[in-house]
Amino acid sequence: MIFSIIALVAAAAAFSLARRFTPHAQEWVLPICVATGLVALWDIACVASGSEIFPTPLDTFYAFGELIESQRLWGDIAASLFRVTWGFLLAAGIGIPLGLVVGWSTRTFRALNPIIQGLRPISPIAWIPIAILWFGIGDGAGVFLIFLSSFFPITVGTMAAVRNISLVHQRSAMNFGVKGFDLFRRVVLPAALPQIITSLRIALGVAWLVIVAAEMVGMDTGLGYLINDARNAGSRYDLVVATMIMIGLIGILLDFLIRRLEVFDEVRWGYTQR
Amino acid sequence: MNHSRRPAGEAKVVFEKVSKTFKQKGEPLEVLTAVDLAVDEGEFVCLLGPSGCGKSTLLNIAGGFERPTAGSVKIDGAEVHEPNAKRVFVFQEYGIFPWASVWDNIVLGVRDQSKAEQHRIVEEVIELVGLSGFESSYPMELSGGMKQRVEVARALAVSPDVLFMDEPFGALDSLTRLTLRTELLRIWEERRPTVLFVTHDVDEAMQLAERIVVFSARPGRIAEIVSVDMPHPRDIGSPEYGVIKNRLYELLGVTHLI
Repeated sequence: MIFSIIALVAAAAAFSLARRFTPHAQEWVLPICVATGLVALWDIACVASGSEIFPTPLDTFYAFGELIESQRLWGDIAASLFRVTWGFLLAAGIGIPLGLVVGWSTRTFRALNPIIQGLRPISPIAWIPIAILWFGIGDGAGVFLIFLSSFFPITVGTMAAVRNISLVHQRSAMNFGVKGFDLFRRVVLPAALPQIITSLRIALGVAWLVIVAAEMVGMDTGLGYLINDARNAGSRYDLVVATMIMIGLIGILLDFLIRRLEVFDEVRWGYTQR
Repeated sequence: MNHSRRPAGEAKVVFEKVSKTFKQKGEPLEVLTAVDLAVDEGEFVCLLGPSGCGKSTLLNIAGGFERPTAGSVKIDGAEVHEPNAKRVFVFQEYGIFPWASVWDNIVLGVRDQSKAEQHRIVEEVIELVGLSGFESSYPMELSGGMKQRVEVARALAVSPDVLFMDEPFGALDSLTRLTLRTELLRIWEERRPTVLFVTHDVDEAMQLAERIVVFSARPGRIAEIVSVDMPHPRDIGSPEYGVIKNRLYELLGVTHLI
């Protein structure tokens, strides 16, 4: 408690002093001050409320250690990542080509767009009963749900990207007689790629949100299940919070990895212009 | 590729009673009315007129991107129905592909030729437009003027017999514009394509064209065709230049005395 109050005061002091730092230093110092302050407030709130169940930051830290020692964490991370990876790759593998074709061909767009738009607002969570019915409890249902939650953002994003290709670029391609598969390879795909990557990023974010929910309801492994299990096994909220933090960290890592796609010369134009 | 010989005495590009009407909110909007024009092979013609006079629409029709409502455009005696890789459009906004390097942009029109031939042609046009050393750069790393050089090089790579230029230097600063005009003239004198160049800039038309086709405001029709019988490089301080320029301003209905 005392430590937390000191930390809170120190964080506030550093925060107000930070205006004198260089902009680069501020980028580090300011968020660290805020994070320290929040953790201190969390600790103070726990002690002040006298809660027996809600874990303090220190409890959570020990819970982390317990999870890692128990070896169980890695298995659950692997299970969640396995479902997300395959569901996501499957969705990208089908959604990108489909979006390119539907976006380019006006007839196909007219035929399929209403159906795609109609299915899109159905939450992947609502599919859980059907996923379990078709695939049973386990990886199949997880991959299927992640496929659903990634497929729509990717397909719709790719379609929109293709339909946004500038008239000048389309005419350039026509002028030089670029047709058929060559047209997709040289113009349609590269023109749409920056926006496709953005839709992949959104899809992966959604997938990571959905897998946790899906595992809480319909699976017996994975990080979502771990949260449920920790609560059911004697209200181990320290494990619940530690797992939540783990989920957040992995989410940041996934986003960081997929953002690596944005630095290539072939797509950089799409993020710096306009 | 041997293009069909046109009948003796006929011009390279012939506009016959070209009209264009757009639908705007259900209302027909006439932008071009019965335009007749013949452009000779190797000629440099500027289409000059106020914004919205239909000069760009006329160019788009000649380029095969739009169809006339009435009338026709013939090139080498054959009616234009679609774009053709031998008649290249240079766009006002950058038509080059931002996702491809300078080299990959320029190679577009000659992509079906042998690797050796591609190299020869691309190197030649890169040299011609002064882009040596920038082969692997991407458009976003280049200035506006250099991007337009890439676009011109991409057009020249196919050895076009007609160049359609739609205010190609409109987005550039005035010094770059002057430089590129000089270079365009040099290239034109070296290769002699037929050039149809759309502009609303009187000086640009004066500096470039052998003939200036002046358009009246909507619905666009040809007000007058003014010949500029002055050899290059043109002395923009000469009395002759001033006389033609006055005539152009008069036709456009504005005064150059401010």
